[in-house]
Amino acid sequence: MRVKIMNVLCRSRKLLSSVVRSSVLVEQTQVLGSCLSKARCYRLCQNLPQHFAASLASCQHRHHGASFSCHFHTKRCYSERNEDRNSASTGVFEEESHEINDTSFLSQSPLETFSLDVLVSLLRQENAVDLCVIKIPEHIKYAEYFIVVSGVSPRHLRAMALYAIKVYKYLKKDGDPNVKIEGKDAEDWMCIDFGKMVVHFMMPETREVYELEKLWTLRGYDEQLRSMPDETLPEDFMFDVETTK
Amino acid sequence: MALPRLSRSFTGLLVETSCLIHQRTFRVSTVAAAIQKLTRVRVVDNSSLGNTPYHRSPRVIHVYTKNGIGKVGDKVLLAIKGQKKKALIIGHKMPGECMTPRFDSNNVVLIEDNGNPTGTRIKVPIPTQLRKMEGDYSKVLAIASSFV
Repeated sequence: MRVKIMNVLCRSRKLLSSVVRSSVLVEQTQVLGSCLSKARCYRLCQNLPQHFAASLASCQHRHHGASFSCHFHTKRCYSERNEDRNSASTGVFEEESHEINDTSFLSQSPLETFSLDVLVSLLRQENAVDLCVIKIPEHIKYAEYFIVVSGVSPRHLRAMALYAIKVYKYLKKDGDPNVKIEGKDAEDWMCIDFGKMVVHFMMPETREVYELEKLWTLRGYDEQLRSMPDETLPEDFMFDVETTK
Repeated sequence: MALPRLSRSFTGLLVETSCLIHQRTFRVSTVAAAIQKLTRVRVVDNSSLGNTPYHRSPRVIHVYTKNGIGKVGDKVLLAIKGQKKKALIIGHKMPGECMTPRFDSNNVVLIEDNGNPTGTRIKVPIPTQLRKMEGDYSKVLAIASSFV
């Protein structure tokens, strides 16, 4: 595959389209990677309406922020091979600009759900610093994945959080609950709870203070927990027998 | 003998002395519920403000709800060590809804004005219903070590 990056017209968001791990996708991206001209890419894009539905729509979203019926002139779609979501992978980028008819990306494939892959790839794409994904063990009935990311500045964190919400809103089905950003007024720590995944956007200094990764990987053996003195009852504690009603 | 009196007092607690000579009935109002102003609370995180001893225990001086009653997940204002600090109620002694845990002490976690918890770890079990409630509880759940 060749790395080819064309002119960037505006530095708005691009969603990585090969987030979905499927063998079909790999073939498609390989085909894509081998072609050079815009026309060929365009043709291929036409052939893959469902696959690029999310990426097109989200790019469009970023460009216009309006309904899906508007055309746009430049579109960039990136494809990246990521075998291991936690390791840095070499990306293959390809860019094309053309007009796409909006009817092609109104239909979503069942693969385009807001999964962990989608979230991780969009965080990577947003230049998140120190991305950490922890799989929560089954016996803790909190979530499935616990993600901690750092950012360069508070504005960066906020931008990442808002973009994640935006992508989630696009990819969610009717039955999924709405998700809000918790800690909006705290500029150094924001959380989003996506049901199965919980993302924490922290500044590096805040991350050092709380050490959430240590807590969630070590659980009971965490250093800060161990250094807490054992609980003793306060002097005025009275264990009352229930006398109400 | 005291049966008509007993039937009249349908609210509150009836205390009956065992003495047969005279019957005294106390009418007591029902417990106001959970956490309100001037309740003493227990700070359960590992913040220095919550754990250093002081001659007065931390008390609630304001409850940030419509009525002055604080349940799990409500913010309160505490007076700790001569200063005011906001806190989040984690559990209370009053029985709550069905299938929610009831604690033996009124537990509270100190938070800052922007919502960040003051301490970094919580040893005490935290009720999982906080996750479903409306409000910014993910940060407190993130520093918790055990859930109930």
